[in-house]
Amino acid sequence: MTRSAGRVAAGLGRLLLAAWFVLPLVPLVLWGVADRWSAPAVLPQEWGLSGAEDALAQGAGPALARSVGLGGLVAVLATPLGALAGRALASRHLPAPAVVGAVLLSPLVVPPFVVAMGFDVLLLRLGIPAGAGVVLLLTVAALPYTTYVLRTAYGAYDPGFDDEARTLGASPRQVLHRVQVPLLAPALAAAAFLAFLVGWSDYVVTVLVGGGRLVTLPLLVASAASAVGNEAQVAALSLLTVLPPVALLLTVAGIGRRARQVLP
Amino acid sequence: MNGHLRLEGLTLRYGPRQEPALADVDLDVVAGSSVAILGPSGSGKSTLLRLTAGLEEPTAGTVVLDGVDLSGTAAEKRGMAMVFQRPLLFPHLDVADNVAFADRVRGVSRRAARRRAREFLDLVQLPGFDRRAPRSLSGGQEQRVALARALAAEPRVLLLDEPFSALDTGLREEMYELLDELRLRLAPTVLLVTHDHREADALGDTVAVLDGGRLLQSGPMRRLYTRPVSLAVSRLLGGRNEIAGQVRDGWHHSALGALRVTTPVANGPGVLVVRQEAVQLTAPDAVDADAPGTVVRVRRRGPRALITVEVGERGPVPPARVTAELGPGPALPVGRDVGVLLPVEELAVVAADPDAAMHQATEVVESADDGQR
Repeated sequence: MTRSAGRVAAGLGRLLLAAWFVLPLVPLVLWGVADRWSAPAVLPQEWGLSGAEDALAQGAGPALARSVGLGGLVAVLATPLGALAGRALASRHLPAPAVVGAVLLSPLVVPPFVVAMGFDVLLLRLGIPAGAGVVLLLTVAALPYTTYVLRTAYGAYDPGFDDEARTLGASPRQVLHRVQVPLLAPALAAAAFLAFLVGWSDYVVTVLVGGGRLVTLPLLVASAASAVGNEAQVAALSLLTVLPPVALLLTVAGIGRRARQVLP
Repeated sequence: MNGHLRLEGLTLRYGPRQEPALADVDLDVVAGSSVAILGPSGSGKSTLLRLTAGLEEPTAGTVVLDGVDLSGTAAEKRGMAMVFQRPLLFPHLDVADNVAFADRVRGVSRRAARRRAREFLDLVQLPGFDRRAPRSLSGGQEQRVALARALAAEPRVLLLDEPFSALDTGLREEMYELLDELRLRLAPTVLLVTHDHREADALGDTVAVLDGGRLLQSGPMRRLYTRPVSLAVSRLLGGRNEIAGQVRDGWHHSALGALRVTTPVANGPGVLVVRQEAVQLTAPDAVDADAPGTVVRVRRRGPRALITVEVGERGPVPPARVTAELGPGPALPVGRDVGVLLPVEELAVVAADPDAAMHQATEVVESADDGQR
């Protein structure tokens, strides 16, 4: 009796959690396919894709490509750097690991606005192109996430695998490619995903350092949302911002699941 | 598939003021032979293997393989495969790809490498396991795959780091037999370490006893059992009998009376050691008994039993206790009077002081060798 009641409560809890995550998306999806939806009506009065068409006309396509590029570059840079830092932190050879760890996690504490304002001046003086500056700053912002994820992964990694592979004739490079990377694949995928998100969803750094010339999806969403009366376009752009990370997340979860099937 | 391995003065110090983890170890492993290093945990035996494999750099000394000094040669270029206590099968590869690992890093095609892997799986009696995932295997099967993987690398020396100590007794016996068979067919040079003197005896042609980073004694296990050079060696080999006394002109005097010692030994205090398996118990009035005594303790060990006998409780010197390990037979309850018989060829005398032990006892063994020649 109490057991089944508990099960019902747990199910209800899960349902509420799911609703909490999914509900905000429902009006977004409805707006995305609504041509007219006035206040008292529960559902749109006219259905259509004019929101998506407007978004495309505003340059959603190239902005999507820029966002993918930015997120990808940040992931490509921050993941290996995070792996190196994570491995160093997990090894016992690092002097003052607490201090090094705190420094690496500090970008989480300092507001990005402050960093961006400060670095904007510096980057301008150094003559570094705005695009490169954005990538550089976002890579630093992503490092705490990749470092943290990979430090945990390296902490759980058995260095005996490396020793075994080397006595079997594998060079350090082969050990990396044939043993470490496959065994750490789930953590690497998770770290890369987080780094991608940092680049994908950034607004502040892209605006301040990019100087408005690097128009990514978040910039497009913000400018569309600041105007009145084009909810459909904002909804279409927002969906475009939400769906790729969700798809990526499912892929990363798939890598993790596959890895768990072979790991003991 | 076999090389002649020599360790010369191998020393490892972690810091200039620290005691060395390994001190000046010399060892010769003839091609095709198997040497077991026996030592308690922390004795430096795993360190010795890691230095040999090139996974760590020695502070001093060299590893020589077939006359070539391997100093500065990376682990992957030494031609030594190692099997660890944990099987360490790569979890992202199936069994055949695990065994094929050495061939694959050598550049052999996957198909050819897997074909060879299946031959090695047959060799370790795991035919048809090639597509299995490592985590679906039992502990014994995992260690067989690890062995096949090491053998498939065709190492010139096979290094085994307590490979069977995580297995239960029955499986361990099976692995001993398997290794015997593999040695007959492939004749690999084997250097293994273990903390178990029975395992050292089962797997090694010769045994080297390591304690505190130093080699105490090496030789065939039979000789180590009957002629330990020190109390430390006797204890590491599971010896239970240590009878303090005085040596005068080749005779050891203690509560057991005067016993002749066949090996040359200096006059003065000395501890008589004798394997519990060599001690015989007779009737108290038997003519050949060396001393009469009383059973004070009985410990069952399966079909065998450890019988402790106290000798000389009425004599002028403090009484001594002798333990005999006996097979099935009539029960000897506590309180029974018996006679203790110590075969003269099984007796050895070592120094009481552990520091002085090595010195004096080495001489003992060397002169014992002379006697045998």
